[in-house]
Amino acid sequence: MARILCAWEYGADLGHVRRLVPVAEALRDLGHEVSIAFRDSAHLEAARSRGFDAYVAPLLRIPPFVNPAPANFSDVLLNIGFADLHSISGALRAWRSLLELLGTQLIVADYAPTAMVAGRLAGTRMVTIGTGFALPPPTDPLPALRPWAPLEEGVLRAHDDRLVRTIREAIGPAGAGRAPVRARDIFAADAHLLCTFPELDPFAPRDTGEYVGPQGDASSGEDLRWQGTAAHRIFAYLKPRNERFDAVVAALHALDAECIVAAPGLGHERASALSGGGVRVVSAPVNLDPLLAEASLCITHAGPGVAARALAAAVPMALLPQHLEQFLIARRIEQSGAASVVRPDTRQPDFHAWLASLLADASLREGARRVAEAHRGHSFGEATRRAAERISQVALA
Amino acid sequence: MGRIAFAWELGAEFGHAVACNEIARKLRGRGHQVAFIFRELHQIDFLADCAADEIFQAPVSLVEGKGLENPASLADILVGCGYDSPQHLAGILGGWIAWLRRWKPDMLVSDFSPTALLAASVLGVRRVNYGNGFGIPPRMSPLPAFRFDEPVPPERLARSDAHALASVNGALARFGVAPLPMLAQVFASDEDFLATFPELDSYGSRPRTGYWGPRYSVDQGVATRWPAGAGKRVAVYVKRNLAQMDSLIEVLAGSTHRVAAFIPELEPQRVARLRSASRIVSERPMRLGPLLPGCDVFVSHGGNVCVGTLMAGVPQLVFPSQYEQYITARRVEQLGAGLWLQPQSTAAEIRAAMERVLYDPSYALNARAYARRYPAYSPAEAQRRVMKRIEELLAEPPRHRALPRLDGAPVLPRTPS
Repeated sequence: MARILCAWEYGADLGHVRRLVPVAEALRDLGHEVSIAFRDSAHLEAARSRGFDAYVAPLLRIPPFVNPAPANFSDVLLNIGFADLHSISGALRAWRSLLELLGTQLIVADYAPTAMVAGRLAGTRMVTIGTGFALPPPTDPLPALRPWAPLEEGVLRAHDDRLVRTIREAIGPAGAGRAPVRARDIFAADAHLLCTFPELDPFAPRDTGEYVGPQGDASSGEDLRWQGTAAHRIFAYLKPRNERFDAVVAALHALDAECIVAAPGLGHERASALSGGGVRVVSAPVNLDPLLAEASLCITHAGPGVAARALAAAVPMALLPQHLEQFLIARRIEQSGAASVVRPDTRQPDFHAWLASLLADASLREGARRVAEAHRGHSFGEATRRAAERISQVALA
Repeated sequence: MGRIAFAWELGAEFGHAVACNEIARKLRGRGHQVAFIFRELHQIDFLADCAADEIFQAPVSLVEGKGLENPASLADILVGCGYDSPQHLAGILGGWIAWLRRWKPDMLVSDFSPTALLAASVLGVRRVNYGNGFGIPPRMSPLPAFRFDEPVPPERLARSDAHALASVNGALARFGVAPLPMLAQVFASDEDFLATFPELDSYGSRPRTGYWGPRYSVDQGVATRWPAGAGKRVAVYVKRNLAQMDSLIEVLAGSTHRVAAFIPELEPQRVARLRSASRIVSERPMRLGPLLPGCDVFVSHGGNVCVGTLMAGVPQLVFPSQYEQYITARRVEQLGAGLWLQPQSTAAEIRAAMERVLYDPSYALNARAYARRYPAYSPAEAQRRVMKRIEELLAEPPRHRALPRLDGAPVLPRTPS
């Protein structure tokens, strides 16, 4: 059996915790000794309370200036601290100490690039896990993040070069033999597990990576049920702080449909104030599956978790991505024919007209049905076990 | 020989890493194993030579100071740094406990590391406080205010204290550990190395026996000599994000003073404006021993190096960047041993303050008079005494037992089962 460290550094959503902690549990069930390292202290207790030793992942200084529109994934890493030689140098030393202290034999990296560089230097086995965004295709240079706005190769290569140069300088001559030579080397691992559907993978189709499918338990939230017999049922899962939130809720009130809006963090008072008629607004997470099973439309920001549930349930989607990762996912779903997307940088559309047209759109329903059919039989619960078994296989190989 | 862990959890200045490194070097030289578990890892690169065998990331809150404009007591700071809820603190405390049980130190040296102390108390690990006073509060309930220039309502202190204590006790309950009666007990230690003197203590005067003297070194860093010439000698130890950096450079570059400046990661354009034949700009800490005897003013943020170089009788010009440093700056001003500047001060104001400290003899006289109050102090002797006391404590059984368990069950074992 192996000593395994499950590491998560970047990406703000709960999705990382909800993926990694169950995988850690499944690995423990397989007999491995598992520890956790998270960058965000707020989520350590989620792992510790399940019986894991949970450490804070070595932290890079947060840079004062970032490029709001990163060109490629090297640029993304430069934005989150990888332009900082001294931070990388210190963090790599701390990772090395932690890996040695724990006797780590395999790292499961969920958007954990510093851990991966440290693992590479230590010769530790590695498996990446995620929904695709944090695993750019291994091209040289790393590809542009906005394929519709082509960049010259020189621009991409300049970001790659700066990233690799900084990391190599931080590593120093002693580790030069194992240091990354190209940006793509940073992401090299023994296996890449994609916990998503190809239709949701920002970089699909791709050559490397194994689709184990979306995973997890969506039943932990509030249990709501559709009540009426309206022709249309709209389920919305939205961030209440999104600038389009109020306009969307207003449009729902004007539609002839039963609507449930889950807006975790909204607050109960505002939720009740916004509810009325056919619209119920709740400020808590909800149990997704019973609602999606009978929904006509799902409005979301295209976070990979909710989108996967809607896709599997054959529910067409109205997508309001908030940032690049969500936009890339939204674009993929749109390409599959199961969604319509409002770009984050466009003017606010007439939401009422947009949603009404989607409810009437037979081809969208057909698109959603077709994608769901392709994944019929996918078990979200089984995906965690499959991921753990694959990791175990790499650990024991 | 012992295993000694130096923890630095709160406070964002280079002085923490440097001070720990100095004691660590002495301990390591005597055969002890040393680990650093630090909040800021980039500082390691700037140490003259890192004395730790291993370096770890301290479990700290990723977000700090949220919703707190003006902390008035350490309880306020704690609430902003993970003590907001039992859930959050349990995660951070769990990180410390897991690490202590793995690395198995015989002694934890806490540099402003309350949660490390709490974890050590859960496990019954020997522990000492080492700091300039701000992070070692008087053990009062509620924890006293350090803010002194505006009224702090007692109920505010009590409210923050109760909030932080509720998080502590809620977190301890998750480990099956009985609650603490007061927040100050988090800081319970086998020894407090208060590395200052009463005149500069953030909390005012405490029993004199508790003071070990400032922590700084004169024998480490890059060998540096004052440039030749006749100008006044100005030493500068500041961070590049100093709000008045460009004004300070303008003042120095427009003067005839000789300058020796340590400003880590200063941008090349600014280095170019400051550096000259009579003005040294160093990327690395400079050895202060040869510089201090002729130094006419020491420019800093008001951290350890300010409190330390004052002991060499050098008058100070202080640019406080946070409240702890502001307290020190005000105390230096009260001693008549220096002046301090607001973040929005102009080049003209900086020039005027520097000229006053340089040319009004009262500042140097007062600095020397203050230093003479502690004739037995030297930085090396202060370090030697701290190191010696750590070795004494290591030779004794731990003074504090592990905190009692809620259910009367045996205390948490110090090593994983």
